[in-house]
Amino acid sequence: MTLALELALVGFVLSTAAATALLRDLLASIVVFAAFSLGVSIIWVILQAPDVALTEAAVGAGVMSVLLLVTVAKTARSPDDAPLVSVNPKALAVVLVLVLVLVTTLPALPPVGDATAPALQETNEGGTTPYGYYIGNAYDETGVENAVTAVLVFYRGFDTFGEAVVVFSAVVGALILFGGGMRRETE
Amino acid sequence: MIPRPYFESPIVMTTVRLVAPFALTYGIFVTLHGAGSPGGGFQGGVVITSVVIMIAFAFGVGPTLDWTDERVVAGLFGGGVLAFGAVTLITVPFGGSLLRVDALPIPTKYAIEAVEVFIGAIVAGVVTSLFFLLSEGGEEE
Amino acid sequence: MTGIAESLLTQYYHVVFVLLLGIGVYTMIDAKNLVKKIIGLNVFQVSVFLFLVSSGYLEGAEPAIVKDGGGPYVNPLPHVLILTAIVVGVSLTALALALVVRVYQEYGTLDEEHLQEVMSDD
Repeated sequence: MTLALELALVGFVLSTAAATALLRDLLASIVVFAAFSLGVSIIWVILQAPDVALTEAAVGAGVMSVLLLVTVAKTARSPDDAPLVSVNPKALAVVLVLVLVLVTTLPALPPVGDATAPALQETNEGGTTPYGYYIGNAYDETGVENAVTAVLVFYRGFDTFGEAVVVFSAVVGALILFGGGMRRETE
Repeated sequence: MIPRPYFESPIVMTTVRLVAPFALTYGIFVTLHGAGSPGGGFQGGVVITSVVIMIAFAFGVGPTLDWTDERVVAGLFGGGVLAFGAVTLITVPFGGSLLRVDALPIPTKYAIEAVEVFIGAIVAGVVTSLFFLLSEGGEEE
Repeated sequence: MTGIAESLLTQYYHVVFVLLLGIGVYTMIDAKNLVKKIIGLNVFQVSVFLFLVSSGYLEGAEPAIVKDGGGPYVNPLPHVLILTAIVVGVSLTALALALVVRVYQEYGTLDEEHLQEVMSDD
């Protein structure tokens, strides 16, 4: 039962992604992209990642689609007659080569959810793995039950500080591009 | 540039007036409850931004920019980065290395929640200013 | 050959990752409009997130809210990386869209081929 649901969801995600690539009208492309983000956030819930699902739902289906719509409203969208883009064979050949090369490496990966995968071991020859350490000691050392928050702020806090600075510099870059103010400069 | 008509739709305005306070409360709730349940700064910040975007849909971007002053938004993300930097440096005189918040005299859980609030402020300020810049910035055509 | 086919049927998340990566790269190469290239970049990013989060998934495990005596938990480390990556991705997309708006205000077109002609005339 759950397998059928997962495969249906995976099919939905793939078909909306293909529709995003193939639709010619930009507005339709953006709407289908929002549906793609919604499908992906449900996949995150199935993969037991609720923090990532919250972020993806708010960002992908919300903020990102609004930013794309605002950009399309400020620029032109060239109306055309044909609803679908004609497939470019040279680009498709390049992409097929890339996909085939990656597919041949897939059997070397452990199956998803397999308990013998190296990423899911609590101890190995070198002692305790990070996974075992974070799960075992997150509550004792920080008093926080959500292991993701504990790792994000306490164990890997410097990466989060770097992310804050990166996001800040994105706004500074956008402010420089637009002449230093958020208002429209009237002549 | 194609003209952008602003439709004053009473349905959208009424719905946004009803929903916006609850959504804002939910955003603050998710930010503050990042310690015990899924959530945290990133999620809460983006939810607060979507509240501002929702209000901009209903009432127009210019009036919304006048209501949330652009200096408040800039102060949110600038002050957030400075506060995060201050938390990073303030652990050094107490004996730990950089950003070891368990060296502070307050319980570690409250220090982590404070950092989550700063992260939420930064993310909300940044994405809101990017939205306002995209829709209002630049020269008049 | 049957080894590859068998393992592909059980590893459908990895197959989805490769297909989404292909769709993202195709959109970035082929689209004429600059905004569509940015949409392709986002699809590409989401495929990489899917690969990383699925590497931390344990069958029959709970989300990483650690309680005393709880069952096995999924690995929280990929979730942390992907949270940061999603927020950085949205601000990167917003900056790219700001560049696109400025390009349109300067040159009056967003078509890739027209832009190359117009910019080589400058």
